[in-house]
Amino acid sequence: MSGLGNLAARDAEASRGSAVLSVRGLGKRYGTHHALRGVNLDLLPGEVHILFGENGAGKSTLISMIAGANQPSDGHIEIDGGRVDLDTVARARALGVRAVFQEFSLIPHLSVADNIALGEEAVTGLGFLAKSRMRARAASLIGDLGFDLDADALVESLSRGKQQMVEICKAVGQAPRVLILDEPTASLSEHDTQALFALVRRLKAQGTAIVYITHRMHEIPAIGDRVTVLRDGQMVATVGADTPEDELIRLMTGRTVSDIYPEPVTTPGPVRLSLRRLASADGCVVDASLDVRAGEIVGLAGLVGCGKSELGQAVFGMGKLASGEISLDGRTVRFKHPAEAIDSGLWYSPPDRKRDGLALMRPAFDNMALSSLVFGRQRSRLRRPRSETALVSELSGRVEFPFGRSRESVANFSGGNQQKVLLAKGLAQDIDVYIFDEPTVGVDIGARQAIYKYFGELSASGAAILLISSDLPELLGLSHRLLVMREGRTVAEFVRADFDQQAILEQFFE
Amino acid sequence: MNTMTNSVPAAPSAKPAARAWLRTHRSAAVLLFLFIGSLVIFSALAPGFLTLENFTNVGRQSVYLLIVSLAQLLVLICGGLDLSVGMIVALSSVVGATVMAATLAAMPDSPVLAMLAGSSVALLAGGATGLVNGWGTAVMRIPAFMMTLGMSSVVFGITLFISGGVPIYGLPPEFGSTFGFGQLAGVPIPVIVAALMVALVYGLLEWTRFGRHLYATGGNLRAAELSGVRTTRVMVTAFVLSGVLSALCGLLLTARLDTGESNIGSSLPLESIAACVIAGVALSGGVGRTLAVVVGTLLIVFVQNGMNLMQIGAYAQTMVIGAILIFAMALTRR
Repeated sequence: MSGLGNLAARDAEASRGSAVLSVRGLGKRYGTHHALRGVNLDLLPGEVHILFGENGAGKSTLISMIAGANQPSDGHIEIDGGRVDLDTVARARALGVRAVFQEFSLIPHLSVADNIALGEEAVTGLGFLAKSRMRARAASLIGDLGFDLDADALVESLSRGKQQMVEICKAVGQAPRVLILDEPTASLSEHDTQALFALVRRLKAQGTAIVYITHRMHEIPAIGDRVTVLRDGQMVATVGADTPEDELIRLMTGRTVSDIYPEPVTTPGPVRLSLRRLASADGCVVDASLDVRAGEIVGLAGLVGCGKSELGQAVFGMGKLASGEISLDGRTVRFKHPAEAIDSGLWYSPPDRKRDGLALMRPAFDNMALSSLVFGRQRSRLRRPRSETALVSELSGRVEFPFGRSRESVANFSGGNQQKVLLAKGLAQDIDVYIFDEPTVGVDIGARQAIYKYFGELSASGAAILLISSDLPELLGLSHRLLVMREGRTVAEFVRADFDQQAILEQFFE
Repeated sequence: MNTMTNSVPAAPSAKPAARAWLRTHRSAAVLLFLFIGSLVIFSALAPGFLTLENFTNVGRQSVYLLIVSLAQLLVLICGGLDLSVGMIVALSSVVGATVMAATLAAMPDSPVLAMLAGSSVALLAGGATGLVNGWGTAVMRIPAFMMTLGMSSVVFGITLFISGGVPIYGLPPEFGSTFGFGQLAGVPIPVIVAALMVALVYGLLEWTRFGRHLYATGGNLRAAELSGVRTTRVMVTAFVLSGVLSALCGLLLTARLDTGESNIGSSLPLESIAACVIAGVALSGGVGRTLAVVVGTLLIVFVQNGMNLMQIGAYAQTMVIGAILIFAMALTRR
């Protein structure tokens, strides 16, 4: 580890000679706008090179050019010291460069095995598909990687985390020389994250150069060797992965950032949301009990598929409940439709903003104001443009969203800003209890800080927050108490004073 | 133009600003280009096209397609599609005429009552068809394409059953003279009715909660549901409104023809979808503006009218309408 960390200090000329892939003065212009300019990068064999920067800093532009999905306006790319023209993804692949992007390239109606074999199908002597051979190859690849994945499952039936694993299988099946991973752990469970890290270490040992993008700071020293920090389309520095967190954040944002988590409210009030022995009709939630007090943030952790997200949806009236009791401020309730839940002061914010959260083609303005016409202060059959504008402007301020751009389609915004629109929706009406499901997936540090600050303000104003997340450091930083779910049951509870990452993780498995 | 000043940052010259406007308002630009283009071409080629008389004529002719296009717009915005609009027009015509003729035969002295009874039953029939369409699509989750295609056949069968396939006579003469050929302050009454419907749909979409929910439902069904929108209700209501508007069109056509006809309306599904798509309404839902649909409808009627004046046959005209639809799709998509 320390030896690899020293690579940063090595003379650039010395490393250049052995680099698998080098980026020389790379730039990309869109009209007069520079998305990226003057980037120099050497990828050494067997190193994990982390790209670090806020959303919009140019990371995606850079990797898309290395992967052949996008052409540079300036500069060039060298492989083994020779200049190459990566004009298509196929060309980049032929040279051993593979990428796993955040947008998946999977065929939903095909099985996992068929997707892994796509484009490299095995055929029998007669030209028919050798299905059993393809299946066996996929199964052994999955086994090799240590992923928890069924080769026969249809991709459309898988969660985002599982689909991510299929995408990784596709990429590493061909033993690439350069592997690009764009936020691979954003939707992976802790177990699969460990499996991915083990895989990355093995590829490293085989000499693969890995480009790794992440917003999770604790992954940097865990997996990285060197870090290249980008800001506003320019390279700020390349440093060792052992660089302290606050120094990395300073490089990324250009300013010193104190603690990104707000100070928790000291004395929570009476219980606002109480769940007793809840079970859902679909069997995802078996036995869940918890309390959330006014001013309190309660974290809900667990593996992907443990039922934590389903629990939130069942409480909100999205899924059928089989048994159990829900009470809000002491009143027993059971919601058949989200509208009833919102009317009673309960809000749920879904994990997948593109699929479940936002109408992407509609303006940010309309998205934010949507439920305000039915519930809360604006309740009216007719739209009232002036008070609506005032409302959206106020909401934008509270989540630090650029109000001046609120008439643009949501699709035009970065992940962080889309997430702010999603979170602002919950503020338009009178809500006492918030359930946030994975509120910071794919969101950079700057936007995260704004979102955490907003959680802090909500709880300070007496709201109760149930925070469902797969990002353990985030839960540890924000929660008063933390519950772990396993196979549909709430199995353990920790209070802030006793937070111990190892003890909590152990509760994930049994 | 408000949006233009908002979305375009201070540009050094007019050129990038124009390009930026084109990028964000591509469908509006295509619509204007096609509209002005067709006006110029027909003014040059078709004798008698560029006259006040002809334009009044086009206004009168476009009423029927316009009302059905508004119906189609409501359903398209919430993510559906209504292929049964044409057959609802026929149903409304036959049902309305049958009831009017029967009431008038029973009470020859009260033509107003006959018109009221016939119109109410026709509008109810349209609304009921829309209700079934909405139920199938929103509750049973049958794709709107199949549901409304199937209903189209069901409704056509009912229409033939009632009418026996022959025109229905015996309408109150006041019906035709008022709603077919009548004028108010020099403006044909059907045009006034259509203008009222445009105002109504515009107000509904732009200024009401229901309108906002319609856009949200089509924009992202799950997100709307999670925001507390009763999406099932919204979709059913959209289909009912579509049925009622189509039935209204059927009544106006009946007044114009002075008979109840079962063989009208078959071209309306395609033409109404074409009018919406040319106007930039997204087939995937969530996008579409009322006034653009008015222009899209006028464009189609102008093209038909121009070709009539140039004495191009009906077969060729059908081809041209289809081609325009495909051309508009190719231009607005990228």
